Amino acid sequence: MNWIWFHKLGSPKWFFQWANKWSKFAFVIGVLMLSIGIVWGLGFAPADYQQGNSFRIIYIHVPTAILAQSCYLGLGVAGLVSLVWRMKMAPVFIKAVAPLGAVMALIALLSGAIWGKPTWGAWWVWDARLTSVLILFLLYMGVIAIQNSLDDLQLADKAVAVISVVGLINLPIIKYSVEWWNTLHQPATFSVTEAPAMPMAMWLPLLLSTLGMYGFIAAVAMWRMQTEVLIREHRSNWVKKEILDNGI
Amino acid sequence: MAFESINEFISMGTHGPYVWSVYGISLILLFGSYLSSVKAKKNQIKRLKQRYLREQKS
Amino acid sequence: MTYLSFFNSEVLAIFRRKQDAVNALVFFLLVITLFPLGVSPSKEFLQPAAGGIIWCAVALAILMSVEGMFKEDYNDGSLEQLVVSGLYLPVLILLKLVVQWCAVMLPLLILMPILSQMLFINWEILWVLILTLIIGSPALFLIGTIGAALTVSLRRGAVLMLLIILPFYLPVIIFSTGAIGAAQVGQPYNGQLAILAAISLMTLTLSPIMAAVSIKASVN
Repeated sequence: MNWIWFHKLGSPKWFFQWANKWSKFAFVIGVLMLSIGIVWGLGFAPADYQQGNSFRIIYIHVPTAILAQSCYLGLGVAGLVSLVWRMKMAPVFIKAVAPLGAVMALIALLSGAIWGKPTWGAWWVWDARLTSVLILFLLYMGVIAIQNSLDDLQLADKAVAVISVVGLINLPIIKYSVEWWNTLHQPATFSVTEAPAMPMAMWLPLLLSTLGMYGFIAAVAMWRMQTEVLIREHRSNWVKKEILDNGI
Repeated sequence: MAFESINEFISMGTHGPYVWSVYGISLILLFGSYLSSVKAKKNQIKRLKQRYLREQKS
Repeated sequence: MTYLSFFNSEVLAIFRRKQDAVNALVFFLLVITLFPLGVSPSKEFLQPAAGGIIWCAVALAILMSVEGMFKEDYNDGSLEQLVVSGLYLPVLILLKLVVQWCAVMLPLLILMPILSQMLFINWEILWVLILTLIIGSPALFLIGTIGAALTVSLRRGAVLMLLIILPFYLPVIIFSTGAIGAAQVGQPYNGQLAILAAISLMTLTLSPIMAAVSIKASVN
């Protein structure tokens, strides 16, 4: 397997120029797919026969929940890469993606709670899925907190990498324990996306929204990483050249 | 079309406030993330440009 | 330096360090999450216990945020500057406290309606809860300041401060949860609120002076 592309991305300069090309593409494709998915889901997909039109919240809730988990996986992997391979871009990735993941988790929580009101009659229930997303959100806040609290850059990078790796290892344990706790306490009667055989008319817009959300987050993450690269590498000549010549 | 009329679309059969508040909040948060990231990048570029030009002069 | 310039610099400092206020909120959320996970997420348990859970979480969050109130200033020497500034130190402490209270309590109060839903609190009870928070939290801040001032020069003063200060929090917690409990069964709760107000006012008069004495001692 040719890993050259991976090592190339480890160079701030190469990443910066690569991101210039691909971020706009990802953004346009992402927003396009997201818009089509949402409009399709809101206006054209059928309503759920049990939940009615509140089911349409799924087109926001599921993509953001999936993204929240993916971003955390990304954080953990980046933390590992940072600690083991000492790649310069890995802490940059963590710093850029952590707030985005937190926003995804927050939207997933809020949409889930608002969906819960017409469906279960309560704004919040301590069910396994919502609780694990809440814990995920708190994990994100921890990563962000430790990043903003340490002034020394090297120490901050290391601390954030450690906490991301520890978090990633803990995540399956947390999810399993919350599921176990939930079966103890709740006569599990509801589940947020209880649509085992979702008809294609509902599934396709969901897929589109999810892919679109991926594209959107990828683009915004790339911009945030570029900003961070500019901050960290402001002494180097290629940055001076980029800014003075191109004015980007 | 899953709805017969615009009014039906907006009211979503009593679930209107829930659906629209979710989409509203989400769009605000998504747009906010986009805006803050783009602005941060522009500001950083501006700051660096000023700094480099100042260093060039001196 | 004037009282107004000091106030402005404190506000600016808070805005520059938003992470501290966020930390208090996240800590609060974490403590709230502990109870359903550790005991029971059922409405039968959470609803009557909700007032107490929130008050315990608020007490801990306030303690955490107040604990470091003077640390930074002590470390970079500006605390000493405040002592010799010629301005009345208790008033400076009070101004610092006001800014701290706003930074911690205002976001908390704004988020309280949302957070209350996680513990199945009714809207009428929510109102009483918010009232007790507004009336009782100043007392917690004021008492906590004394602890922060006492332990500012200690390197491992955090736990010590918690040990000293938590007993003084008990009356506030007792009367606040008493008011909420009374409201939950439909009884009048004005008495408890009045006592809470009395405690807050009493600490308002005593605490800045005591904190100032402690700071002067620590700085020397």
